[in-house]
Amino acid sequence: MQGLQMVAVVLVLCASLKLLHLLGLIQFTEDSIDDEQEQYTIRHRPEALEQLEAQTRFTKKELQTLYRGFKNECPSGVVNEETFKGIYSQFFPQGDASRYAHFLFNAFDTDHNGSVNFEDFALGLSILLRGSVQEKLNWAFNLYDINKDGYITKDEMLDIMRAIYSMMGRCTYPVLKDDTPRQHVEIFFQKMDKNKDGVVTIDEFIDCCQKDENIMRSMQLFENVI
Amino acid sequence: MAAGVAAWLPFARAAAIGWMPVASAPMPTPPRDKRRTQDGLIILNVSGTKFQTWRNTLERYPDTLLGSTERDFFFHEESNEYFFDRDPDIFRHILNFYRTGKLHYPRHECISAYDEELAFFGIIPEIIGDCCYEEYKDRRRENAERIQDDEDNENNNDLVSPDMTLRQSMWRAFENPHTSTMALVFYYVTGFFIAVSVMANVVETVPCGSSPNRVKDISCGERYALAFFCLDTACVMIFTVEYLLRLLAAPSRYKFVKSVMSIIDVVAIMPYYIGLVMTDNEDVSGAFVTLRVFRVFRIFKFSRHSAGLRILGYTLKSCASELGFLLFSLTMAIIIFATVMFYAEKGSTASKFTSIPAAFWYTIVTMTTLGYGDMVPKTIVGKIFGSICSLSGVLVIALPVPVIVSNFSRIYHQSQRAEKRRAQKKTRLARIRAAKIGGASAYLQYKRNGLLGDTLDEASKEAGQALVTKNSATFENQHHHLLHCLEKTTNHEFVDEQTYESSCMEVSLTNQARSRSSSVSSSQHGLSSCCSRRNKRKSFHVPNSTTGAERHGSIQELSTIQIQERPLSNSRASLNAKLDELNCEQPFITAAIISMPTPPVTTPEGDESSSSADYLQSNIVRVSAL
Repeated sequence: MQGLQMVAVVLVLCASLKLLHLLGLIQFTEDSIDDEQEQYTIRHRPEALEQLEAQTRFTKKELQTLYRGFKNECPSGVVNEETFKGIYSQFFPQGDASRYAHFLFNAFDTDHNGSVNFEDFALGLSILLRGSVQEKLNWAFNLYDINKDGYITKDEMLDIMRAIYSMMGRCTYPVLKDDTPRQHVEIFFQKMDKNKDGVVTIDEFIDCCQKDENIMRSMQLFENVI
Repeated sequence: MAAGVAAWLPFARAAAIGWMPVASAPMPTPPRDKRRTQDGLIILNVSGTKFQTWRNTLERYPDTLLGSTERDFFFHEESNEYFFDRDPDIFRHILNFYRTGKLHYPRHECISAYDEELAFFGIIPEIIGDCCYEEYKDRRRENAERIQDDEDNENNNDLVSPDMTLRQSMWRAFENPHTSTMALVFYYVTGFFIAVSVMANVVETVPCGSSPNRVKDISCGERYALAFFCLDTACVMIFTVEYLLRLLAAPSRYKFVKSVMSIIDVVAIMPYYIGLVMTDNEDVSGAFVTLRVFRVFRIFKFSRHSAGLRILGYTLKSCASELGFLLFSLTMAIIIFATVMFYAEKGSTASKFTSIPAAFWYTIVTMTTLGYGDMVPKTIVGKIFGSICSLSGVLVIALPVPVIVSNFSRIYHQSQRAEKRRAQKKTRLARIRAAKIGGASAYLQYKRNGLLGDTLDEASKEAGQALVTKNSATFENQHHHLLHCLEKTTNHEFVDEQTYESSCMEVSLTNQARSRSSSVSSSQHGLSSCCSRRNKRKSFHVPNSTTGAERHGSIQELSTIQIQERPLSNSRASLNAKLDELNCEQPFITAAIISMPTPPVTTPEGDESSSSADYLQSNIVRVSAL
């Protein structure tokens, strides 16, 4: 009986201590009661207009229009991956564009610091819209090469292909089968991998693309976007 | 798609180059850009306040006025800007919507003004951002309720269609006692009898002195049993008759039977009838006594007579969830504390806390801070927990009460506002009607002054003075011409109220007023002839028709001031001649509401007397000095 009573008393004591702690009357450790996280806002100001004009192939007016759109959507001056995914997904409502947006983000984020600022953005767009075919193909290779080691493996390509196909969504004609991406990757490797070593290097890639008329023509497609 | 995202479309298209090397089929050709317009600034002039924005900003939402070609209708070439004759303060929010993609609702703006602006600019209010949407909806609902209230009252009060059936008029009498004297009498009579019945129930139980063969006092009810029975019968008779009449007159009997008031009525009179049926059986007389309790429900019949009671009931109904929460939390707390107290007091001797349900009583009394003192804890632990119990009781009860109070306050003030609005409405409507009739009589005055067609020649003669006034009154002239065309179309003429009433009166009194009616009819239809007669008089000034219109305004309708008019026995001709001279000399009075007896009151008699004209002039002078 004594033991049980002791146990009961100890229990009641612990419960009341917990209650008092809850009420904020006593504190166990030294940390402060209000642990509001300080949010320090990241702000980034881009380089001057003239510098950007020199670095990219856009005119002043084009840069102005670009920056206005950029700043409107990202007032802090940088895009993080979540925002990027959100923006890109809005253009593809039927499917899931987040995977591909992830790859795109990595392609734009050249210094790999997790955020894309306006310089990255403008430089990337400059290559895509005003660059030579060589530069564009370079950029595409960079996009496919996920680990940036200079080689595109079948797995990397499969990832990219799956991401592209997932943007289509479910309702397609003809119906998407599970191994369609894999088949597509096979076709790609057959075309591009000249020495059949299972990887595609940048020279193989550029060589092969320059020989393909369709690809050459499509590279010029988006010249007048801005 | 959000507007800002549209600015990223070029980026998305550029990034599509990433698909090209892996494409399985050739790409389609891109659309040609129709016009490569440089993004330019647009100036929007809204009632003088200039706003500027990029053209692209506005074109983000092409299905609104500003984003589509509809804005070209507002383009003002001379100043090379788009001019809108709207409120600049609200426009600021609309333009911000284009800029940021979020529409906000400014709290200080009137909700209907805001809605109108949104409708004008083609923006649906549903896209108001989350931050302001709730407020917007609340204000809108409040406004709708207010308008609905007004409409309901109007419908109720103005339903004076003469061909209402007896049933409808009875129902109206029951619902609005102020409509007729009979209804008012009925209302007060039933109120009186409710009060009498309730008083009788109360007095019945008062001890009334002892009778010789009983030890204790007997109640008044037993002593004067017959008197009370008669009183009760009378009241129940009245209530039954009232209930049956209401049932008869109700437009929807089923709905009436289901309503709360009718249930109260039934419950109030049922005990009596049940009592009649079963007075003889001794066994059920116990139940009969219990039934008498229900007689107290008669007091609820007062809610028909008192708006405050109705509001209270409505409040309780609308706070049902808060009341439920209060009840639930109290029950939880009672059970917890009763259990604790029971086990705390179990040890002490002769403890009143014999069981947990017995401890309920103590807990309730303590939590509501009553503290009767018939049960008190004796152990220390019991006292500790008892004090915790009373402290927490205050909290638990105090929490839901402000919600209920604020609900009641809101509903009460709403009904107060409704009452005030009803009272003010009469005066407001009277003034508005006066202003309107001012406009109508302007036309009649216009006609009598003979400003139709031929007098244009005379007008040109008075060029210097008249021309100015004529230009300013082109709207009036055109309006009068339009009314004149309508007269010609229908071959009837506009007359003022008094003429109409007098003609109605005379049509009914055909015998007496035969001569008058003939003259009236001739004078009525002869308006044009009179006018044409006057047209020939060259001695006319062209009066300032605007001043004439406003000054010879309406018969005042404000119930507060009544100016008695003598039946003026002037012919219109002489009258108007003098009045026209008066027009030019008297100062300009602008307030159309100022009462003036319409001087050219058409009189049945055709007498002329200059003395009355003088009186009229003096009459006018007197009124205009107000």
